[in-house]
Amino acid sequence: MGKADPAVPVIPISYGRTQVIETGKWSSLKPQPLTMIAPCREACPIGTDIPLFLHFIERGRYAEALSAVLKENPFPGVCGRVWFHPCEASCNRAQYDEPVSIQMLERFVSSIKPEPVSLIPAPNQAPQRIAVIGAGPAGLSCAYFLALLGHYATVFEAKKEPGGVMRWGIPRFRLPKPVLKKEIGRILSLGVQLRTNCRVGKDITFEELDKFDAVFLSPGAGINSLLSIEGENLEGVWNGGEFLERINALEKVRLGKTTVVIGGGNTAMDVARAALRLGSKVTIAYRRTREAMPAIPDEIHEAEEEGVAFQYLLQPVKIRRIRGKKLRVTFQCMKSGAPDKSNRPRVLPVKGKYVTLEADSVISAVGEIVDLSWIPEKLVKNGLVETGGDPRIFAGGDAVAQPRTIADAIAAAKRAAISMDLLFRGNQGREALAGFRAGTKGSVSLDAYLRFREEGKWPEAKEVVSDGRINTLYFEKSRRVVAGKLQRDKRRKTYREVNLAPDEARAVYSASRCYSCGQCNACYNCFYFCPEGAIAINRDERTRTVDLAHCKGCGTCARACPRNAVIMKDMV
Amino acid sequence: MRNLRAGLPKKCRDHEGYGMKEFLSGNDAVAHAVKLCRTPLIAAYPITPQTSIYERLSGWEASGQLKGIMMRTESEHSAMASCIAASLTGVRTFTATSSQGLALMHEMLHFAAGCRTPIVMVNVNRIISAPWGFWADHLDSLSQRDTGWMQFYCENGQEALDTVIQAYKIAEQVYLPAMIATDAFFVSHFVEPVDVPDQEQVDAFLPPLDLPHRFDVDKPGFLMPVVTSEFYRHYKNAASTAMDSVQELAEQVDEEFRRKFGRGYGVVESLLTDDAEVVVVTEGSMTSTARVAIGDLRQEGIKVGLLKLRLFRPFPVRAVHKALCGKKKIAVIDRNCSVGGGGIFCQELKAALFHSKDHPGIYSYIAGVGGTDITPDVIRRIALKTLESSIPADAPEWIMNDEA
Amino acid sequence: MKHSIALENIRMGVPEPAQDYLSVGHAACPGCGLATGMKLVFQAMGPRTIAVIVPSCEGSIGGVYPITAYGVSTFHSAFEIAAPTAAGIANALKIQGKDDIQVVAFAGDGGTFDIGLQSLSGVAKNNDDIIYVCLDNEAYMNTGIQVSSATPSFAWTGTTPKGNPRRKKNIMEIMAAHYNPYSATASIGFPSDLLRKITKAKTIRGTKFIHMLTPCPTGWRTASDLSPELSILAVETNVFPLYEIENGRKYTINHRPRRLPVREYLSKQGRFKHLSEEQVRAIQAEVDEEWERLIRNAK
Repeated sequence: MGKADPAVPVIPISYGRTQVIETGKWSSLKPQPLTMIAPCREACPIGTDIPLFLHFIERGRYAEALSAVLKENPFPGVCGRVWFHPCEASCNRAQYDEPVSIQMLERFVSSIKPEPVSLIPAPNQAPQRIAVIGAGPAGLSCAYFLALLGHYATVFEAKKEPGGVMRWGIPRFRLPKPVLKKEIGRILSLGVQLRTNCRVGKDITFEELDKFDAVFLSPGAGINSLLSIEGENLEGVWNGGEFLERINALEKVRLGKTTVVIGGGNTAMDVARAALRLGSKVTIAYRRTREAMPAIPDEIHEAEEEGVAFQYLLQPVKIRRIRGKKLRVTFQCMKSGAPDKSNRPRVLPVKGKYVTLEADSVISAVGEIVDLSWIPEKLVKNGLVETGGDPRIFAGGDAVAQPRTIADAIAAAKRAAISMDLLFRGNQGREALAGFRAGTKGSVSLDAYLRFREEGKWPEAKEVVSDGRINTLYFEKSRRVVAGKLQRDKRRKTYREVNLAPDEARAVYSASRCYSCGQCNACYNCFYFCPEGAIAINRDERTRTVDLAHCKGCGTCARACPRNAVIMKDMV
Repeated sequence: MRNLRAGLPKKCRDHEGYGMKEFLSGNDAVAHAVKLCRTPLIAAYPITPQTSIYERLSGWEASGQLKGIMMRTESEHSAMASCIAASLTGVRTFTATSSQGLALMHEMLHFAAGCRTPIVMVNVNRIISAPWGFWADHLDSLSQRDTGWMQFYCENGQEALDTVIQAYKIAEQVYLPAMIATDAFFVSHFVEPVDVPDQEQVDAFLPPLDLPHRFDVDKPGFLMPVVTSEFYRHYKNAASTAMDSVQELAEQVDEEFRRKFGRGYGVVESLLTDDAEVVVVTEGSMTSTARVAIGDLRQEGIKVGLLKLRLFRPFPVRAVHKALCGKKKIAVIDRNCSVGGGGIFCQELKAALFHSKDHPGIYSYIAGVGGTDITPDVIRRIALKTLESSIPADAPEWIMNDEA
Repeated sequence: MKHSIALENIRMGVPEPAQDYLSVGHAACPGCGLATGMKLVFQAMGPRTIAVIVPSCEGSIGGVYPITAYGVSTFHSAFEIAAPTAAGIANALKIQGKDDIQVVAFAGDGGTFDIGLQSLSGVAKNNDDIIYVCLDNEAYMNTGIQVSSATPSFAWTGTTPKGNPRRKKNIMEIMAAHYNPYSATASIGFPSDLLRKITKAKTIRGTKFIHMLTPCPTGWRTASDLSPELSILAVETNVFPLYEIENGRKYTINHRPRRLPVREYLSKQGRFKHLSEEQVRAIQAEVDEEWERLIRNAK
C-alpha cells in the first residue's frame, strides 16, 4: 500500500487467518483410514495384492507393479496365462459393468522389459536348510519363498529340466518356454540350489532327506490314469501326459489324419489342441455333459474355436484295430441321471446303445495320479501325500488333497514356507498362520509375514469390501479390456502363443478400471470435496493426513471415498 | 454549446485569470472540470437534467480526449458501486446524477463514505418524485446529508467547475467523498461565460494522484469485513473527526485556489452583512438573484445583508458564527421542505446558532420548491417581512405565489 | 476414455494444489458445498486474483475482523452489486496497467437471480472483464432458509412451507440473452470440469458467468456428507446439466449424463420429502423437457 502515512485512514482489512479457530471442536466425529481387503485379493489363492499392482500399472510405475506381484507370486508370467482367474470372478466391478482384466495385467507386468526388479532375501539370523522334492510350481515356489525368508533351499528334480507341469504339461501355445525359463531363472538367482536328474528313491534315499531341517514334498501327480479298457496298449493309443511331454520336448510325433481324445479336463484340451497342430482332425469324447467338464470354460472354448469337435456322454468301452492302421473306439452311450447325494450330476449308461469312432490315433487324458512308490507309508493317505504328525515334513501341489491348479500349488508352497519359518522360530500351529491371511478364504500374504517378522506386530485379518460398499456414482460404465488373439485360422498352424500381449496404453487403461476396493489410491476425491480443505494426500504413499484441529466431522470424505477406505469414528 | 474562443476579441479575456472564457452550460463546465482533473474512471447513468455531463464526457472518452474508461452502467446504484470499487483500487473516479438517481444510490452513498473513498460527484438538484417534474429543488441532495459525504452548493457554472477541482483536492486528503450540487436548469443548462483553466494550472494545483491501492495481491487481505461494535464506533468517530477538519481544510484549499486561479468562494460568503438588520441566507442559484435584490433594497435604504451557504457538509459552524455574530434577524430561504421538519438549511442553521449568545431570530422561508422561480421580488418580500416580524414562527412560511 | 471422475484430476496435470486460498477454521456449516466450490474456484484462479464477495454464506466464511478465511485479496461489497463492484475493480486495474490480475465476483443465488440480477445484466451488457461465479444453493441460506427464484419446484423453504409453487429461473438463458462471450454451468461433484472451466474463463476477455450448484445440507435438509454426491446426482439426473454457452449462441454439452430418474436425486433431500408422486412426475417432465431443449440448442 505504499507509504504508511498516518494521514491515510486505516480501513478495516483482515490479515489474520482463521487457522486460529479450532473448528475441529465442533464435532467428535473424525475420519479414520479403513483399509479393507479387496475381494479379488481374498479370492486369489496366492494372496497377491492385486489393487496395489494395478495401481502401479495405472500410474506407469511398472517396476513397482512387478515388485508388488513378486512379493507374493514368483510366476506372474505363468499365472497371467494359464490360471482361471477367480480374482476376476469376484471383482466388484463385475456387479457394475465388467470385471477388470486382472489376468491380462498380470501377464503385462510379468513382461516388463528390462526387468528392473532385484529381489533381496530378508535378513535372517538363523537360516535353515530345506529340501524341496519336485521342481514344479509348488516346489519351485516353496524354494522361492524360503529364499525370500532368508533360508537355503535345495530342490530335487527327477526330470532333466525343472518346471513340472508348467514345462511338461502345458503346451507352448499357452505358455511359451522363454517365459518359464525367465521365471525359473529369477528363482534360481536367489541362490536356490537345483539338482536335476535326481530322483528320490533312486538317486538319493528318503532317509537322506533327514539331513535337512525340513522337507517340502511336491512331487506332483505325474502318472496318467489308465482307461482300464481292452486295447489300451495298442500302438497309436497314447496317454495324454506322455504325449504332451513329447510335444513339449520338441520331439517329432505323428498322429495321422484323425485323432480321438478321451477326457474332459484341461489336459484333454491341451492334448486336443496340440494334436490339431500336428495336422490331425480332432474329436474329444467325454463321458458326461459339457457342463460337467472339469476343464476351464475358457480352455474348452479355445479348443472349439480352433476346430476341435466335441461329443458328449460317451464312455469308452474298448479299442480295436481295424483294416490296417486305423483304430476303432467303441463307446457306451450315457445319459444324465438324477444328481447324487452331493448334488453332482450322475451319468448312467443307455442300455444296449453304443457308438464307434474311428481314428488314426487315440489319446487318453482321464486324470493323473501321484507316484507314491518312494514315499514312506505313514505319509500316504487315499492315494495322496499327507504329512501326518511330523512337524518337519510339509507338502503341497497336485500330490496333496487340494484343487489341482497352479495358483493353489503356489499358495500351498507359501503356507508351507511360512509355517516352516514359524516353526524355526518356535511358533506353531494353524492359528499362527491365520494372522497373515488376506480375507477369510485362506490365502496368505508373505509380505504381511515379513512385516510381522520385522516389526513384531501381528497384522490383523481384515474385512472384505463387498460390492455394496463401492460408490459407483464415481465411476462411469466401461467395457473391460480384452487383449487380442492370433487370427483364428492361423492358430492351429503354429505353436505361437494364441493370446497376444496387451499394448501399454490399453494395459494402463485397463488397470485404471480397478476400483481399488478398500485401499486408498490417491484419487483426490476427499481432497477436492473437503469443504475445509483439511485433507492432504501423499500421492506416492497413498496416505491421507487430516487436520483434526479443523475437521468438522461432516463425513463428506468418508461418503465420497468411492472405495470405502475412510470411515467416520466418534473419537470421544 | 459552441466554443466561441476563436471568435472572441482579446479584450474579452479575463485579465485576472490565465484561461479563456467560453460560453458553457453548467453541465459542460462540470464536464470540463472532470477532464482537467484527468479523472480516468467515470461510471454514470443518464437522468434529466444531468445527461449532458454524461454525454459530454462520453464524447471525450470516445475520441480519446479523456483518457480512461467510461462505465455506462445500468443504474445509478451500480454506477456508485463501480466508483467505490475503482476508487479503492486506487484511481480517481467521478459520477453525476440527480433526484431519482441519487435516491437510488442512497445505500451506496453510505457505503462510499464508509469505505473512505474520495469520490467526487455532481448532483443536479431536481425535484424528487412523486409527483413528477424536472425542475430545481434541493430536497434530493439534502435527503442524503446523513450519508457522510461532503456537500457544496454552487451558485453558477463557474463555481461548479472550480468546486469540482477543489473537491478532489480536499477529498483526497481527508478520504471522504464530495457531492457538488447545482440547480437543475438554472445552473445545469444556463449558458454563461466560464473561465476554463489550463491543464497545466490544474495539474499544478492538484498533486499527483497518490491514492492507496487497497487491493494488494502480494499481501492479500479481506477488505470491509464484519467488525465488532467497538470497532465500528471507533471507525465512525474517525470519519467524523475527518469530516470536521474539512471546515478548515475547505477554506484553505479555496484560498489556495484563489491565489492560483484568481477566483475564490469561501465556505460561506457574506455580502453587506456588517450593518445588516436582517441577513438573508441563500444557497445555490437563488444567490445570484439575491445579490440583485439585496442591492436594490440597499438602494432604498433598507439594511439587509446576504449570507450564501456554500459548504453544507460539514456544516460550517465556525464560519456561520463568524458571519452572523451580532445579527438580530436571519431569514433563511430553503428551496426544499423536509415535510414535518421544515426547511433543512434552516434546521441546520438553527442548530448551529443555538448556543450563540446573540440568539438571533431565525425566520424560515420555503421558496422555489418544485423549481418555482425565486424572483428578486420574492427575496424582497422575504426581507421586508422579516424586518416587520418580531417573533419568528416555529413553522416555515411558504412562499406560494409570486404576488404579494 | 474417462471412467473415473476423480482420476481425471490426476490426468489433468493439475499441480499439487495449494489449499490455503481458503483457510481451515472458517465458519461454514459442516459439509457446505459452497465452501468446496469457492475453494475449487480459488485454486483455479491462483494468487494473482482479487475477489469480490457479498452478504451471503460467503460472508460467514469471510469472518469477523481481523480474522478471515480468504487467502486472496478480497472485498466484501453490498448484496446486490457483486458484478459492478468487480467491474469497477477490473476497469481500474486496466487503467493502472495491471494486466495480470484477474477479478472474480462471487454471489449467491439470491444475489444473482433476484436482487443482483439487474446489476449483473448491466455488467454483462457492457462486457466488463470479470469472472462472475454464482454459488447456487437454491435459496437464501445465510438468513435462514427463504425461497429465491433459484429454488426448484416444490422445494420446502421457510417461506414456502408447503413447497415452492414456482419453477426455478433459467439463469443461463438469461445470460445467453446478453451474448456474453462465455457462460457455463459447473458442479462441485465434477472438480476437474469446474477447474477447466475457470481456467478457460481466465483466457477470455469480457464477462464470464459460471453457474455453480453448491448443495447446502442445512437448507436442503440432508446429511452433512452428501454435497458432492448430490452435485453428481443433479448432473446425472439432468436436473443440472453441465454445459457451456459461448456468445449466447453456441451450446456445448460437457457431460453425457446417465439419465438416472430424478427420484434418485430428490429422495436424498429432506426439502423434497413431502413430494407426491404427481409432483415427482412433474419434476421429471420439466427436467426431460429442458434436456430436450438443450440437446436441440447444442446441435
